[in-house]
Amino acid sequence: MLTLRRNRKNETGNSASLSGKDTDSETKRRGASQWAVAWRRFKKHKSGLFGLGMIVVLLIVAIFNTVIAPYPARPAPDALKPLYDGEAAQAPSWKHPFGTTRMGLDVFSEIVHGSVYTIYVAVAATLITTVLTVAVGITAGYFGRYIDELLMRITEIFLVFPSLLLILVFARIFQLGNAEPFYSFLGINIPIGLTMIILIVSIFAWAGNARVVRGEVLRLKETEFIQAEKSLGASSWWIMLKHVFPNVLPQIIVLATLSMASAVLVEAAVSFLGFGDPNTYTWGRLMEESYSDMSTTWWSEVFPGLAVFLTVLAFNLFGDGIADALNPRLRE
Amino acid sequence: MGFVKYIIRRGIYMIPLIIGISIVSFLVMYAAGDPIQIATAGNPGITEAQRDFLRHYYGLDTPIPAQYVRWLTHFLQGDFGQSLYGGRPVNEIISFYLFETLKLQLISIFLAFFISIPAGIYSALKQRSAADYTISGISIAGVSLPVFWFGIVLIIVLSYHMGLLPSAGAYGSPKLWPVFGISDPTLDALAHLVMPVTVLTLASLAYNVRLLRAGMLEVLRQDYVMAARASGISERKVLYKYSLKNAITPLITLLGLSIGASLAGAPLTETVFSWPGLGRAYVNAVSKLDFPLIMGTTMIVAIMILVANIITDLSYAWIDPRIHID
Repeated sequence: MLTLRRNRKNETGNSASLSGKDTDSETKRRGASQWAVAWRRFKKHKSGLFGLGMIVVLLIVAIFNTVIAPYPARPAPDALKPLYDGEAAQAPSWKHPFGTTRMGLDVFSEIVHGSVYTIYVAVAATLITTVLTVAVGITAGYFGRYIDELLMRITEIFLVFPSLLLILVFARIFQLGNAEPFYSFLGINIPIGLTMIILIVSIFAWAGNARVVRGEVLRLKETEFIQAEKSLGASSWWIMLKHVFPNVLPQIIVLATLSMASAVLVEAAVSFLGFGDPNTYTWGRLMEESYSDMSTTWWSEVFPGLAVFLTVLAFNLFGDGIADALNPRLRE
Repeated sequence: MGFVKYIIRRGIYMIPLIIGISIVSFLVMYAAGDPIQIATAGNPGITEAQRDFLRHYYGLDTPIPAQYVRWLTHFLQGDFGQSLYGGRPVNEIISFYLFETLKLQLISIFLAFFISIPAGIYSALKQRSAADYTISGISIAGVSLPVFWFGIVLIIVLSYHMGLLPSAGAYGSPKLWPVFGISDPTLDALAHLVMPVTVLTLASLAYNVRLLRAGMLEVLRQDYVMAARASGISERKVLYKYSLKNAITPLITLLGLSIGASLAGAPLTETVFSWPGLGRAYVNAVSKLDFPLIMGTTMIVAIMILVANIITDLSYAWIDPRIHID
């Protein structure tokens, strides 16, 4: 049995992480749960681990932003201290690692404070997108027939339409009716404009993912254990919650990680084009503010963009890593 | 025979979709508020009577369903109305920008398509080689790259610091951009294309390579590829005739989608390079809430995307004889 398996693997030569030695250890620990196996596989995925490391750094920066940043966040008057010290529009130096803007803001501090919004965008947008993905994907796939037909037609419209165009229109309309900048919840100031953008971005992000989940559910529906549950008289909701959902969960986790990457990217784009929340200084906003100065103080434009790039890269690398770790076709 | 029937059927299927999209866009835009109020908000000298005159002039004083019917009848006659700013016909504005957008987009899409084929195949063939890691690394970086940021970096380095390429626009005006000291309109237009095309190509190239690499890895593992190789068919034929044809379908889907979506212009790239295209015009129209222009652009884009989808589906049948059109 074991030799046979090893042969097949050598033919396909699929995953570098599966050398002959690992096969033995994985077979021995067959009792381990699929998550433990996945984690073991993930630990060998170098670029995936690198992505995870970058995400951890981002989280630390966001949590300790007030400690790490040498200057406070706007609207605190001290945010403009470099201006009063006569240090506006300075190139990167030891005191200002990413330089200062023409307005007299320390670019490094601004990026550190902006990381909080980046995390908020990534997490909130992904939560909403995932709920929509799961609801549409599982319902369409499981119930099939006219429900599937209807949901898939709606999905197609969302999929086909260049979403950035409509996101801009919605963002602009919400900007008009923006009365209160913040909503205070449990002592945390939640930026309303940014939340609206997150909502809009999420509403246009679920369609592709829902199609993937639906396909997976369609495949599951034909498996024997689901058929057995059905013939035992289990209700549709029970089967969906207890059997279908746990089995599409790996797929959903992968899609969710990749959604984080695209949410951060789209929010940065919307803000950069000037349709963002005027009260929150996200990285895209910082780029918009410095856009007209890029021929002189290029650092105030380049570093916030670099932060966006590295964050999106981190989520994508991490997502690829878990996709490989959870892919049953690559698994022993 | 089946071919013509198929196109007619798909064409009929498009009609409710287009009407649906137009109703939704119309409602969204007019829910935003009174366009005349918005358009004249920055002008304190205007009187309410003048606003009423403008509303009447643009037909905005009738109920919304009546406005929609009026818009639809004009639309069916190919008339998109007039811009709220300056009153230029929307048709004229769109056709002016459409050419520049298509020029930019089509060049990039086809460059990306034809570069991605050898790159994707090579990467899949030499899996886990240094070349594969390089190609995969560049493509995941390309997927993560904010296109507008990449454009800005190129402008800062190549235009501002090295003075190699023009930083904005599609044509040198009033003076042509000299290429190797020669001032020629064609060379000038090409020089203006280099950076935006690079940015757009890299952006779609990354997706294409990832898709094709994954597809090829799947196909190369199949028994029929091994059988083809065993029967002594040349490697070139095995790769390009037997394997690629099976791996390329997702790439064709993406190509179809991106040709359709390219009509929307890449609002970001066009804004960064001040390209006189549809995407930048759209961004400007949205920030000024120029409704007729937004509606016109949206409809053109929607129709083009649906047409591109039909062509994509037809091309499947051309590539894969197992797929029948009926």
